[in-house]
Amino acid sequence: MKPARFDYYDPRTFEEGVEVLASAGTESKVMAGGQSLMPLMNMRLVRPAVVVDINRVEGASYVKPWEGGVAVGATTRQRSLEWDGLVAERLPILQTAARHIGHTQIRSRGTICGSIAHADPAAELPALALALDAEMEVQSKRGKRTVAAADFFVDYLTTSLEPDEILVETRFRGSPARMAWAFLEVSRRHGDFAMVGIVAGLALEPRGNAISDARLTYFGVSGTPVRCREVEVALTGQQPGEDAFASAAADIQPLLDPSDDVHASAAYRRSVAGVLTQRALTQAWRQLQKEV
Amino acid sequence: MATQASPPTHRASIPVTQPRYVGQDTPRVEDPLLLTGRAEYGDNIRLHGMLHMAVLRSPHARARIVRVDASKAEKLPGVVAVLTPDDVKRWSRPIFGIPEGWTGHATSIDTTHWAGEPVCAVAATDRYVAEDALELIEVEYEPLDPVIDPLKAAEGGPTVLEGKDSNVPFSRKFTFGDVDAAFSEADVVVKERFRWHRSSGNPIETCVCIAQWEPITNQLTLRGSHRSPHLVLPGVVASLGLSPNQIRIFTSPLGGSFGTKTFIRYVVLTALLARKTGGRPVKWTEDRIEHLVGNATHAWDRYQDCELALKSDGTFTGLRMRVVDDWGASTEWLAGGMLVKPIISFSGCYKIPAFEYDCSGVLTNKVAQGPYRGFGLPSHYWMLDQLVDIAADRVGLDRTEIRRRNFIHRDEFPYTLASGNIYDSGDYEGGLDQLLEKGGYAELLKEQEQARGEGRLMGISVVTSIEPGLTNTPMLALLSPNIFTRTASPEGISVRMDMFGKMVAEVGFPMGGQSQYTFVRQVLADYFGLAPDDIQVVVMDSQTMPPGTGPISSRMAIALSGAVMGAAKQLSEKFKRVAASMLEASVDDVELLDGQFRVRGVPDKALPVARVAQFMLAFPDRLPEGVDGNPSATYVWNPPEPGLVDEQGRARYSVTASGAVHLCMLEVDRGTGQVQILKYVMVDDCGVRLNPSVVRGQLQGGVAHGVGNALLEEYVYDDNGQNVTSTYMDYLLPSIHDVPLTEEHPMSTPSPFTELGVKGIGEAAIHTTPAAILCAINDALQPLGVRITEAPATPLRIWQAINQGEH
Repeated sequence: MKPARFDYYDPRTFEEGVEVLASAGTESKVMAGGQSLMPLMNMRLVRPAVVVDINRVEGASYVKPWEGGVAVGATTRQRSLEWDGLVAERLPILQTAARHIGHTQIRSRGTICGSIAHADPAAELPALALALDAEMEVQSKRGKRTVAAADFFVDYLTTSLEPDEILVETRFRGSPARMAWAFLEVSRRHGDFAMVGIVAGLALEPRGNAISDARLTYFGVSGTPVRCREVEVALTGQQPGEDAFASAAADIQPLLDPSDDVHASAAYRRSVAGVLTQRALTQAWRQLQKEV
Repeated sequence: MATQASPPTHRASIPVTQPRYVGQDTPRVEDPLLLTGRAEYGDNIRLHGMLHMAVLRSPHARARIVRVDASKAEKLPGVVAVLTPDDVKRWSRPIFGIPEGWTGHATSIDTTHWAGEPVCAVAATDRYVAEDALELIEVEYEPLDPVIDPLKAAEGGPTVLEGKDSNVPFSRKFTFGDVDAAFSEADVVVKERFRWHRSSGNPIETCVCIAQWEPITNQLTLRGSHRSPHLVLPGVVASLGLSPNQIRIFTSPLGGSFGTKTFIRYVVLTALLARKTGGRPVKWTEDRIEHLVGNATHAWDRYQDCELALKSDGTFTGLRMRVVDDWGASTEWLAGGMLVKPIISFSGCYKIPAFEYDCSGVLTNKVAQGPYRGFGLPSHYWMLDQLVDIAADRVGLDRTEIRRRNFIHRDEFPYTLASGNIYDSGDYEGGLDQLLEKGGYAELLKEQEQARGEGRLMGISVVTSIEPGLTNTPMLALLSPNIFTRTASPEGISVRMDMFGKMVAEVGFPMGGQSQYTFVRQVLADYFGLAPDDIQVVVMDSQTMPPGTGPISSRMAIALSGAVMGAAKQLSEKFKRVAASMLEASVDDVELLDGQFRVRGVPDKALPVARVAQFMLAFPDRLPEGVDGNPSATYVWNPPEPGLVDEQGRARYSVTASGAVHLCMLEVDRGTGQVQILKYVMVDDCGVRLNPSVVRGQLQGGVAHGVGNALLEEYVYDDNGQNVTSTYMDYLLPSIHDVPLTEEHPMSTPSPFTELGVKGIGEAAIHTTPAAILCAINDALQPLGVRITEAPATPLRIWQAINQGEH
């Protein structure tokens, strides 16, 4: 389990980094926390000719305010989601969800942008990016561009990032007013990738008798995280409660495209996605009832 | 009966008014070195000119090897040697295993036997270059249909091993008592089919072997994580044809074993590669994927049909089990023993006068099995106790009551099973009473009733097991009567005292996590009135160590207490003669007590032990007739009255029987099939506890293994024979989040057959915990009228049981 030979660069700026990527062509990989890339390289499943290690890029690790939410840098560690005061204040759902990402050691090395760029469909952060309408700033020698989360995740471990681009910032939009969030996942063990997971948001009309807004994002059930917008729309205007949540749970199941693996079958994933839908919406609703 | 239990004839005692260390939570001498990583583990060893081995593995489960060309790899800078199947065929015989004649060589020769089998090996200046070189070796394969399903493989079709006309190395029906009568006269018969999937031991440290082949004298030196040179040596001799005294095996401290640290195949492979390097040493450090895919460590891949006969009052009268075990590609090493071991304690804690065990080991194109903590019993006890639960429900008895009615009673020990094995001591009913009281069983039942009222799936189990301590070699004679004709199961130790009254104890096994070095220090410290730090325990190599066996089969507390006590006694007898002459008293009037030799009735006449040792070393000319100037003793302990196995398969197989009763309460999530363990309580009787904290550690660790086997750990092969669980993302070990913090309540029925009354506890709760969890899950599922019969009980399997018809 040793990687094949590769050239290693550790630029101090993104400009230097994208310069290397531009000349390396498709045989390059950007490395930050290395939590996914290094095992793949050690197993020789991934054999980049060039590795661009961005850990020494100055000023790339931060959490800063952005449009009611937060923006994080390319090397901001996942652990900061648990600790950062701004995250706790503006997007506590990120703080809750972060505890499900691997283990402390993994979160201390792994980066938020790295997980999003790796785009494992069973990972938490891509789903959170989709649920929170995040946008990604990517940089290459050709310049900078911004990609919405909805356009970023293409397929299993595939994003719209070009080989010469670096994801330099992820911006999580703030939560809509009065929206309560719930994060649930079913995994074989604590810290494992999800067999099924959900990020759910629920907001009510001021008098509390109708749903004004809903968010339903799933992970582990398709080649990418999945946002079920039609079910979100269908929930809006309904009276919150068991009936509405049960019908949402039934409605989402045909929209998912899960597959079989050694841990669970597609049928299991679809069924449990329904169970989690009901539980997550109920949990969010209870939270809103407490706040009233 | 083949053997009869005899009353204890000899109970050695430690000459001390009140033991200061034996029976206490004496801190472990192993901890500072092993836990800080300061121990010199095998992988830490760097030798001059040392090369690194990487192994080319077959991508196919079964294929004909048409051509091997290593010439490009040999030319890669940094590569010193490439071992090919031709070399292996020329220089070695097949890997040792029983039944004999059912193994391949260290690499594939003409055909591959499992996906992951070594085909070639490279020695290079570092592991990176060695792995680069693997990619340059050209092997042309002609894939063949693999043999995957053991039930079909047993019937016929292509054979896994060339030149064989069957895939069944071993098949035998053991019948003890009148089983047919028991079943025909039974009021009730309950039956079930169980499936136990492959799992294995996963130590933190993987296997390490360093081989150096001296080209002029053909001397082979081996270093690494060998748990016992006594076990490695015969395997190396069998394959390489060297005589034992041409081989010298040094062992390093172990970062865990759980049965995996014998790895004969890779010792042979590393040695053969070292034969091609002109004397340069070659190191193999197994990586994690190699451990999961390529090493013979997998265990217990079983298809099991079981039935229990009973009377309407709940009395068990007969038990039948038919087991097919998927052995993988060969009968490597002693792994086959795991299939026959159940006959040693077939009826567990219960009196069942007649039982039948129809067992077959079948070869398939998967990696071979290897020893794993529990050695074949955990799946057996799950079946047994699950049948007992089913039987209780059928005859309308409380599940604890049916057990109570069938327990071997405390007055019936030593108890001889129908299979001839003898249980030394026990009090299972007492253990059950204690468990139910301390565990608050009555309250738990009320809690469960309330939870069920709310529609929650809560389950409670109370299960039992026997952990045989020190199973003798006659068990292996069942598989290989030609090789295992002996009864010995020795453990030797040498002890000596220096000028300053400090001691060195020489043993034949490395320092590991199981605390044997601590035990040696505890016993010697009390025996000679020293502190544990006054005693150094050192491991010898294969050419200098006394006869022994090493840490297998829950044997070390038993064997080592016997060996240490024997050696201490011999040394003290020697000292006593010198002390008598120094005290000018008769030898018969001198006694050792609390570290001093005294003359009986003359309290002021006393000599510390150290003074006697000093005198022996300093004044050899003044010693009594027949005493030399050597304050040391060597003792080789062997188990009492082991006997050989008879034609029916009966023998006195093991020395002790530790009884366990466990209680588990858990909740099943109806929607997701997930299991949450809410409470776990154990009463475990391992006789006298030399060091209670070590026993608690063994039990808690055994529970962790049990949780893994009940809920998580499973090797999965696809239809092509590919192991699809080749990393820890797919082969799931329990973490601290998954293992309950247990309550443990000690009890002790001292063994009459061992020095100090100890019983084996090294494998511990892995015998009991799978049954506890799986029976509790089935209790939770009972309101739904469904049952889990496959281990591990994954969320998917539980969900499938709840949602019948869904996949």
